[in-house]
Formats: sequence, C-alpha cells, structure tokens
Amino acid sequence: MTDILRSERAAEELAAEHTVGDPFAAAIRATRMAMIVTDARQADNPIIFANDAFLALTGYHREEIIGRNCRFLQGPDTDPAAIATLRDAIVKGEDVAIDILNYRKDGTTFWNALYLSPVRGKTGEIAYFFASQLNVSDKKRVEFELGDTRERLEAAVAARTADLTHALQQKTALLHEVDHRVKNNLQLISSLLLLQTRRVTDPGVKNSLRGMLERVSAIATVHRRLFQSDDVERFDVSAFVRDLVSDMVGATRRDDITVRLDLERIDVAASKAAPLALVISELFSNALRHGFPPETMEGRTGEVFVGITRQDADFRIEITDTGVGVENSASSGGFGLTIVQLLCQQLKARCQTTPADPGTRVVVYLPVNGVHH
Amino acid sequence: MTERPLDVLIVEDEVLLATELEFLVGEVGCNPVGLAMSSDEAVAMASDLRPDLALVDVHLRDGPTGVEVARTIHDKCGGVALFMTANVKRLPDDFAGACGVIGKPYSEHGVKTALSYLTICLREGRAPGQPPIGLELAPAYAERWGLSGLPQAV
Repeated sequence: MTDILRSERAAEELAAEHTVGDPFAAAIRATRMAMIVTDARQADNPIIFANDAFLALTGYHREEIIGRNCRFLQGPDTDPAAIATLRDAIVKGEDVAIDILNYRKDGTTFWNALYLSPVRGKTGEIAYFFASQLNVSDKKRVEFELGDTRERLEAAVAARTADLTHALQQKTALLHEVDHRVKNNLQLISSLLLLQTRRVTDPGVKNSLRGMLERVSAIATVHRRLFQSDDVERFDVSAFVRDLVSDMVGATRRDDITVRLDLERIDVAASKAAPLALVISELFSNALRHGFPPETMEGRTGEVFVGITRQDADFRIEITDTGVGVENSASSGGFGLTIVQLLCQQLKARCQTTPADPGTRVVVYLPVNGVHH
Repeated sequence: MTERPLDVLIVEDEVLLATELEFLVGEVGCNPVGLAMSSDEAVAMASDLRPDLALVDVHLRDGPTGVEVARTIHDKCGGVALFMTANVKRLPDDFAGACGVIGKPYSEHGVKTALSYLTICLREGRAPGQPPIGLELAPAYAERWGLSGLPQAV
C-alpha cells in the first residue's frame, strides 16, 4: 500500500468517526482558521486532513498535500531555529506556538502564527497532531517596520551625538585658546606698564602708572580666579579678596600696616566680577596708600580691615582703616573715587563713606539679586 | 651651601614679558643669565650656561614645546625648571620634572615672592613653609622639600 493510500485510509477512518452530523467536525471544516491534522502513527507524520481555509491560505489543492509531511510549507528564508523548535516539540509530544515564515504554492511567503498540539488516543499514545495556521504577515510587517524605524532613529541619534560631541570638543578647545590669549594679553599689559614705570622719574606719573597696574592686576586676578573654578558663571568674591590683599600688602612693603580679614563666602555673577573687583581694589589701595602717610605713624601700627558678609538682601563689603581719615588724607581723590562711583552705579550698589574714629570706613552694599528693594 | 645668587635662564617668546621678567629676577637678587625664545635655544643655553633655575613658558616660538624643554633641563642639564604659563591645567601630572608653576597672569609681587621662596628651597633643600600664593609646587618637589603631608595652599 502506498503512503498516499494509507493516508487516504487514515483520513477515511477519521471521517468515519466524525460523520456529517458531528458539529465539531463541521466547525473545523468551515472555520476561517486554517487547520490540518497529521497522522502520528505513520512514517514522517503525513497530513490526513486539511480544511478549506488551509487550502485558501497556502494555494494548494487537497490532493496535492494529503499524505505529505507539512514541511513543504518551509522555504529558504524560513528560520532554521524555528524549524528546530517545531521538530523538538513533535519529538517530545508537546504543544508549541511559534511565528514561522511559510511559503505558498506560488512561492510567495506569509508569516504563520502556528499552533501545534498532539492528540492522544485512548491508551495515551499520540495518534494525531493538530495544527492551526494564522496569517500574521501584517502584524509582522508592522513589527519589522517598527524595528527598522527604531534602528534608523538609533543611528540618527548616534550620528547626532557624535556631531555634538565633536562640536563640544571644538568649543572647549576654543574656550581654552581664548582663555589663554586673554591671560597672555593681560600679562603683556602688566609688563608694559611695569616697564614704563621703571623708566619714568616723575613721581606723579609713576603713581598713575602704579594705579593702572593695580587695576590691571585686579582684572587679571579676576580672570585667573574665574577660570580656576569649575563654574565659570560664578565668582567667589572672598577668594579674590584673599589673593588681592596678599598681593597688594606684599607689594607696598609696609611692615607697620596689618590687615584683618573677616570674609564670608559670597558668589556673584561672573559679569559682575570685574567691576566689583575694581571697586574693592580701588578702596583697599586707597586705604593702604593714603590712610597711613609714613610721617604720621611715629612708631604706631595701622590696620586695614576687610569684611564681607550677607546682610538681608545685600552683600555688605566693608573696608575700614585706622588711618588719618578722609579729611586729612593726601588721597588724590580724583580718578580712583570716580572709578568707584561709576562702577557702583553700574553694579546698582550703594557706597557709604563714614569716619571710623580713627580712620575711615567705606561700606559697599551690593544687592544680592541685582536690585535694591 | 653657597650664598652665590641663583643663575636664572628665562625661556619666553614674548620679548616684553621676558624683559620685565629679567628686571624682576635681578631685583630679588638672582642673576639672569640669558633669554631663550625657542626650544632649541632653550636647550642649548641650558646645556652651556647650566642655570640653577629656568623659568619656562609652555608656548614658545616653535609651538607648545616648553614641556619638553623642562623635561630636558631636568633630565640632562642638572637644573630645575619652573613653568610660567597661562595653561596651568594642561601641564602633565608629573610637571615634566619641573618644580612647579606660576600661572599667568602673574603679578610683580607674586613672581618676586615665588623666586625668593624657591631660592631658599634650592639652597637649603627644604621649604621655609607653604609656597606663597600664585606658586604651585610639583608633588615630587613638595615631597623633596619636606612639604608632603601638609595641606597644600591653592
């Protein structure tokens, strides 16, 4: 007996068990879900039943498939791993649900959501396999498209990130270059002023040049401090004052003047750093240079106090000396004080000068939020 | 231990800075022995003149070659280099054998105190205390001059 004949015989036996009046058989024949039954007891597990939906889905005629193993549905692009899973489930007699690429008679493909399950006879041995096929090509296409889209998006994001990283590196390099040039130019300006100070003999001119050198140094200190910190947006005023004071006191070489500091840490916006630094430098220099004329000291020692604190909505910067007082000071007054006035105007700060008995107290009130309330 | 002034070589391609620096070196009692503007000049002068101290800018006439100059002076000329640069953050961690760095822009007073301080360090092999503001010591020299373990002033 040929295989085909045996399969037909098996099909007849199956049909005999489920005659015309059997509602389950009628349902399986008529359902829109493609279904087949294979005979597990025959060699190579051939198809013995296929419903119309299966024929419609695959494009085969019934007589072309009865008696054949259903692997004719597989083709070159069918995933071998999916085939292995299927085979494994059949060997073990287990259920399996898997999406697998199948081929129609005309060679076109469809994605098959395959469900395969053993059917056991009365004695428990596997008599048949039952399989249902659902065409899920549309769902699969959407999945693939989504996957493609995601891959394209990921590639676009990666490319953009690389661009931005490169741009950031360039900007950082540029920033370093500019910072470097600014520092070198400030150094150049200082050196020019120092060189000329060495040449001139007129004490008035020498003093003016000294004053300018101090101002340039104050700006240079600001710049060094700004780029030393991690945050180039904020400027630590107290750290600046420590640098400035140490430098200016050291440069005056006056052992008879001591400096007392009481500095709370305050940060101001970087845009305010240079004007504020110039104000402090000017006031401190004034106290140092004009508060204590050597001929008035007579063995006494003088003190300059710098205090920085926050008072309500203001930063309060105090510079007090125990010197001869404003009215007795030989301060040129002119240019230095003009600078202080102009810059306070720019900073929206108030500057108050009062007698300290002895000496002078200058207090600058700088609004924390940029405006006075 | 000798009290003769330190011989100082200036390696700087900005001639106005170099000229002013020469004055400062002289004012603190050191002996300026020469001015080099490129790395070749610097290495040649360091080999010939054997300065005690070389003040080395990183950017010279032939590019950012100051780091290699400092390394050569340290390795082959027996002198000590001190960087003077606006690019403190770009120096190698070992300072290329240099003893430290003065960041630009520096002040007249800052350079003078640094030079006076280093004069003592070089003469006595020990630091007289923490380095002055504006001078940062290389870790190897801070240790050599007895400053390791002490908190470093920034």
